[in-house]
Amino acid sequence: MRHLDRSVRTLFALLSLTLMLMAGCKKGAPEGSGAPATGSEATPAKAAEPSTVTLQGSGASFPAPLYSRWFREFSTKNPHIRVNYQATGSGAGIKAFTAGQTDFGASDSAMTDEELKQAHGNVVLLPMTAGHIVLAYNLPDVKVLKLSRDAYAGIFLGEITNWNDPRIASENPGVKLPATAITPVNRSDGSGTTFVFTQHLSAISEKWKKGPGTGKSVNWPAKAAVGGAKNDGVAALVQRTPGAIGYIEYVFAATSNQPTAMLQNKAGKYVAPTPEAAAAALSHVELPADLRAWVTDPEGDDSYPIATYTWLLAKKKYGDKTKADSIKALLKWCLGDGQALSKELHYLPLPANVTEKVQKAAETIE
Amino acid sequence: MAPPTTAGRAGNNLHLSLGNSRTLLDRVLTLLAIGLSLFALFPLLSVLYMLLVRGGELLSPSLFTELTPGAGMEGGGIGNAVLGTLIVVLIASVLSLPLGLLAAIYLAEYAGESKLGTLVRFAGKVLTGMPSILAGVFAYALVVVTMGSFSALAGGVAMSVLMVPTVMLTAEQALRAVPEKMRMAALGMGATRMETTLRVVVPTALPGILTGVMLALARAAGETAPLLFTALFSDYWFEGRLGSPIASLAVLIYNFSGSPFPHLVKLAWAASLILVFLVLVLNVGAQLIIRRPQEF
Repeated sequence: MRHLDRSVRTLFALLSLTLMLMAGCKKGAPEGSGAPATGSEATPAKAAEPSTVTLQGSGASFPAPLYSRWFREFSTKNPHIRVNYQATGSGAGIKAFTAGQTDFGASDSAMTDEELKQAHGNVVLLPMTAGHIVLAYNLPDVKVLKLSRDAYAGIFLGEITNWNDPRIASENPGVKLPATAITPVNRSDGSGTTFVFTQHLSAISEKWKKGPGTGKSVNWPAKAAVGGAKNDGVAALVQRTPGAIGYIEYVFAATSNQPTAMLQNKAGKYVAPTPEAAAAALSHVELPADLRAWVTDPEGDDSYPIATYTWLLAKKKYGDKTKADSIKALLKWCLGDGQALSKELHYLPLPANVTEKVQKAAETIE
Repeated sequence: MAPPTTAGRAGNNLHLSLGNSRTLLDRVLTLLAIGLSLFALFPLLSVLYMLLVRGGELLSPSLFTELTPGAGMEGGGIGNAVLGTLIVVLIASVLSLPLGLLAAIYLAEYAGESKLGTLVRFAGKVLTGMPSILAGVFAYALVVVTMGSFSALAGGVAMSVLMVPTVMLTAEQALRAVPEKMRMAALGMGATRMETTLRVVVPTALPGILTGVMLALARAAGETAPLLFTALFSDYWFEGRLGSPIASLAVLIYNFSGSPFPHLVKLAWAASLILVFLVLVLNVGAQLIIRRPQEF
């Protein structure tokens, strides 16, 4: 009994101690980490080196693998700068950045005028890399599939419901198309990929524009349509559903060797979704001064039709010199040496004239 | 279960044969019950099997000592996530255990069936059924928005919201299970009410209380939703700053499982194995505490 008494007493002493500590923490915390600033003033912790700068970012999931790799490589070269990025989706990324919860954001759809207003103009939009969206399909005996603009818009509109439909067959002479029903697969979650894909569909089809329109999630008109969560969910659904077709980011098709359709571009030519063809699409778009440009329906014979830039959102004024200098150094490296990594991870390196423009914009950060 | 076979031999007309319809029914139903029990175990066993096969592949010491790799890189580990999970659970415990235990003592020893007691108990029961993502929303509003950054502390707060009701309700049950006679005896020997509670009732109920604590910890450690937009994730080691984001196993699995890069998917499997192992250790620990013979 006696030793238990003591242990209970110690237990309670500990409990009250933690309670007191909690009270202290609650009071101290807001001032300490109110400004998520240069590590040194965050919390007076034991291991924090005063010279280390931490940059926190969140946002689009599409560039996340490339960003995490970039930031890792950059930190190895610059050990005093740590960059942490978390994929939360473009919308959440913009919100967190505007609310000052992060040092930088990332978005597949840049920022709308409305969103820019909420950020009080303290934003620089920087295209960091680009990617393209492919239509992966599941038809075991069809190695090459050509889809006209009417055909793939029609499939997702639900107007074309069978693979042997004349609107598909006429463009694929010599290919034995089965009488399988088409299952269009879309994203069930809100997504920048959906935004880019529906933006393109709106550009090529009046009917799409008036119907589902452009958005991070839309009402999919096709009766047979099914939804999958995230890119890997759509890819998996296509892989196990005969007759399915779905839109995914190129990297997911490239790493799983899924067959993808050749699409008809604005010039009427059929183009396979190679990185070169997507890069050609980008080269036909002139970036305006605010660096917001959407490649909704690119010109050019060799352009693959569905490609997009993805943006990093930085502040114009950080009000903290070390932080501003760190992010400038980071951006400089990503736009320079970092571009070589884009290709390895199946992204599109930015054309030289674009990186030059973006570099200049990055220089204005204070 | 099976009827005693000796009865048949012992004599009279009590012989046992499958020809007897009631015996047959008994056997069939017993087999059915055993079969269905095994079937109920099937999901657990198949998950464990898959985890061992796919997650075991990368199991090595470096898995625990190295940081998560970037996309397209080989090697690396999940050390930051293992440490992060432990730290977030620790923060959550520091926040929730005092609260939950003191509330339980109040409910069991002082409140009785009073209005406040009934209300608190009801609130606790409602909280246990609350979707965990709401705990995340709560912590987001309380800590992330007010402090202005995602943080380990916010993750801990979200988890503690999930832990408090479990700790409180199980501890109350354990305290109530202490025989009334022991309280009477203590009071009869001149102990005050507080002394009775602290020196007699709580020590007696300690195994039961600890079980509840461990079950709450096990539940919290496996949660992803409340951490997604509170603790976020970090590709670096924890540096002692509760105000910055922190890695965790659950969020690592969430991030990496959908990756197009096979190596990251493998790491997600390995992380799942480690997480299940951690939860299993806590659960088995709780079972051992229950079974331990008490001194009283």
